[in-house]
Amino acid sequence: MSRSVRALRLKLSRHAGFQTYAGSRQYRSTFAPITVLEALEAISERNPELNAFASHITPAEANASESSEGPLMDWPIAVKANIATARSSVTSCASRALYAYTSPFQATVVDSLERAGAAVVGKTNMDEFGMGSKNKFSIYGSALNPHTPALVAKQDGMTELDRHTPGGSSGGSAAAVAAGMCRAALGSDTGGSVRLPAAWCGVVGFKPTFGRISRHGLVAYGSSLDTVGIMARDVADVQSVFDIVAVPDPLDMTCMTSSLRARIKALASSRPWITQAHGPNRSESAPLAEIRVGIPEEYWVNELSEPALESWRAGASRLAALGCEVVSVSLPHTPSALPAYYALAWAEASSNLARYDGIRYGRRSDIRPDTRNLQNASQKYANTRGEGFGAEVQRRILLGTYVMSSAASEHYFTPSQKIRRLIQEEFDNVFALPNALSATQPLALSASRPLGVDVLLFPTATGAAPRLSDQEDSRVANYVNDVMTVPASLAGIPAISIPAGHADGMPLGLQLAAQYGDDDLLLCVARHL
Amino acid sequence: MRLLWSVRESARHCAGYKFTTNLLLHKRYYKPWGATIGLELHVQLAAAHKLFSAASAKWDDPPNTNVDFVDAGLPGSMPRLNPECVSLAARAILCLNGQVQPRSSFDRKHYFYSDQPLGYQITQQRHPIGRGGFIELGQADGLDYTKRVRIHQLQLEQDTAKSIHGVYPGYILTDLNRAGVALVEIVSEPDMETAPEAVHFVRKMQSLLRHTGVSSCNMEDGSLRCDVNVSVYRGSEDRLSGTRCELKNLNSLKTIRGAIEAEVSRQVELLSNGQRVKQETRGYDAHSGKTVLARSKEAAPDYRYMPEPDLPALHISEDWIKQIRSSLPELPEATLSRMTRQYGLLPEDVATMLGEPGCISFFEHAARGRDPKRVAAWITSEIFGQLSYRAQRLSDSTLTVQQFAGLLDALASNSITSTQAKTLLIEFMDGDKRAAEELIQAHGWKVMSDTRQLQTLVTQLLNEHPREAAEYKAGHKRRLNFFVAKIMAATKGQARPQD
Repeated sequence: MSRSVRALRLKLSRHAGFQTYAGSRQYRSTFAPITVLEALEAISERNPELNAFASHITPAEANASESSEGPLMDWPIAVKANIATARSSVTSCASRALYAYTSPFQATVVDSLERAGAAVVGKTNMDEFGMGSKNKFSIYGSALNPHTPALVAKQDGMTELDRHTPGGSSGGSAAAVAAGMCRAALGSDTGGSVRLPAAWCGVVGFKPTFGRISRHGLVAYGSSLDTVGIMARDVADVQSVFDIVAVPDPLDMTCMTSSLRARIKALASSRPWITQAHGPNRSESAPLAEIRVGIPEEYWVNELSEPALESWRAGASRLAALGCEVVSVSLPHTPSALPAYYALAWAEASSNLARYDGIRYGRRSDIRPDTRNLQNASQKYANTRGEGFGAEVQRRILLGTYVMSSAASEHYFTPSQKIRRLIQEEFDNVFALPNALSATQPLALSASRPLGVDVLLFPTATGAAPRLSDQEDSRVANYVNDVMTVPASLAGIPAISIPAGHADGMPLGLQLAAQYGDDDLLLCVARHL
Repeated sequence: MRLLWSVRESARHCAGYKFTTNLLLHKRYYKPWGATIGLELHVQLAAAHKLFSAASAKWDDPPNTNVDFVDAGLPGSMPRLNPECVSLAARAILCLNGQVQPRSSFDRKHYFYSDQPLGYQITQQRHPIGRGGFIELGQADGLDYTKRVRIHQLQLEQDTAKSIHGVYPGYILTDLNRAGVALVEIVSEPDMETAPEAVHFVRKMQSLLRHTGVSSCNMEDGSLRCDVNVSVYRGSEDRLSGTRCELKNLNSLKTIRGAIEAEVSRQVELLSNGQRVKQETRGYDAHSGKTVLARSKEAAPDYRYMPEPDLPALHISEDWIKQIRSSLPELPEATLSRMTRQYGLLPEDVATMLGEPGCISFFEHAARGRDPKRVAAWITSEIFGQLSYRAQRLSDSTLTVQQFAGLLDALASNSITSTQAKTLLIEFMDGDKRAAEELIQAHGWKVMSDTRQLQTLVTQLLNEHPREAAEYKAGHKRRLNFFVAKIMAATKGQARPQD
């Protein structure tokens, strides 16, 4: 069946009022759907300027490929360059070390998407191995933010560095969604790498609970924090993709089993104070009645810009108008999250990236040391890794190696693990729903409403997207971008960034976070925001 | 003062006279020096698949044929724990009288080497699957006293790839077949005091782990590897006070013994000369009979242990442990006491049979309704002789217990001679699939029970050899052997010498 016939049938079925495909909810997007061919057209038009894709398919390839029928039929989807795709494209992680690497297997997420009918239109630009928040550290060069006003962009003497960053590390995916070059995109979120670029590009970026989506095929950066994330123009599209990819996977032992998923579902639907979160009959005037929203004080940091604060206030008012009860909560360990996050992420990075030695695959240094001497043989590693990794990756590997060394481990690694535990406990304390992981026996939830909140609301970033040239000399400032996003990563809880206002024409994002496993409620609230 | 003198004196003995070394190492001769010895054994599990992948664990297949994505460390690949390996590790700790831990977890141990595709080894540093337990050494094991060696812990971990040096000059070749094969590392407490104790400990470990099907435990092919920690102390000091050295790459029982003896001598000599023992890793040079420096403490790599984030903690239920325990075969210790009691066998014979996998059940089948001592004697001398001649395991031999039983019956009813029985055994082990009776018939063997025929033959022989007959009569009793041999030759072994 050709793609155009299928597209036609899809349109007909919409007209005929077919709301759902078997086994999946269908959410109504507020945007007109983008077909594969439309996306490819947009790519050929806009990608040369925006540099969002590292590689993409041609219309001829799209027509030739046989995709299956399913709920995502004719959905053009972009996949970050650190997620393994078996066909057509390199899985380079935007690194020289894996410049021409093609994977012999495909990530479970990509398999699920293709089975559901979606077409992978290309691999997106990113910060090398996911390390960065501006999409600047890439062998492909920076991706650019589609929201830079066209007039400004064409000014005389404007260099690329004067353009705005799409954010990172999933900058290419966010830019691709924002510029209509795909209907949805996969990214990866270790400490905010999906949510931050989504906010800066004005799209929705969802980091589900750790373990909701299989990591098999996602090239590891910080394995205990890495989450596959979803970006789209609205929550409905995000949810359509999420329903397809959030399934158990025996190939990833840290992916939630079906019994854990069932336990979470039972726990979430048994809370007596929310009677109709997913029901069709929510009141039109107050669709989020019964939901209590927490505003965490500690996110009101010095670095927070006035427009970001304003959009936070506006978001809180909007939720209140939708029927939510908005309360102030305290998460006192938030300031410790950033240093703890970096110690853990770098330590895991130095471990996960140890395999790129050029021996079995990937780029190998041409310098041939004399291997008769063992000292020289290990020089081969040093040459290969020194040439293969960019400056930021090398910096994080070195710091991570130090953090884990026997001399420093007890001062950095161990305390960071403790802080992580404290932050998890802190979130458990503010949420009304108990954590399914710590709840060992079936909970007898009291009929009366417990003290905690259902979701938290706070900004995704301290401000709008900076220009690529900004803060050039301050690495620490780059890391501070992550201050709003890393606590949810450390706790493994779901968080979603939603477009919320502008500052000087550049988009801002607001973040909602919920208890471990409470992804459905989070998406439900996000849909209304 | 006096103590000092005796210390010096004994050290001089040790250093000066090579032959005293062995004596010195025997427990009784240790004073005033003592040695403290602990072992680390790496045992390859007899699992069909690797610890974290679905690839076959046959590491001796053609190079790089049994490699899954995770074994080659491909980007995006993830480890998946193989339950078979967990149950073999549980069997191992249970047969060592230890406890399976209800919760264990995995760690990464980092170092760069071409045999380490991930850049780290997945092991169990902090929370191993097994703790506690012991091995009891005694007479049946070849010690003339009893000794209990405690087990500290047992952990699951990955094997490395194989590095092949020297095939292509300037290149190190890598075979990933072994990368990720399941090992357990068994760490003993430093309870041993002599080299023979260490050797007997290893031997007993081999027999236990083979018996329970955990591992083939061969040092020759590397399915058992052994590192030894040795320190010495003066008689009056605490036995754990010495600085220990680790001896690595000891690949036979003989090497273990030689290396420990050499290392104890070296440390005693150093201390006697007022020098210090430095903590280091050493190897053993069998030619010079000395240990040699491999790596000083300063050069030891920092392994940067880290919890393995790709694997959740391993939870093992009480029910599952019970199930594993009930599936364990009778342990050698129990078999030994039962067999000596039930069949009246010598402990040495039972111990010998215990060393051969499958041999006990082979014996018990054959001994049903037969003289157990005779069965055991046949197994331990004739069958084991043939097995070692053929460098074969009983389980790989074509000999069936039915054939062996038929042979024993024919022998017991005097229908064949023991010479014929031995021929029969060789034919069975060469692959003849016929039953004993059938093969006897095919040979046309039957014992010459017609004594008159034998009488005629003897008379004939006496007449043919009058000189030898006269000598026998004159008291040369050994001349009888001459005639027996002649008769056996004439009858092609069908006569029974007793007649």
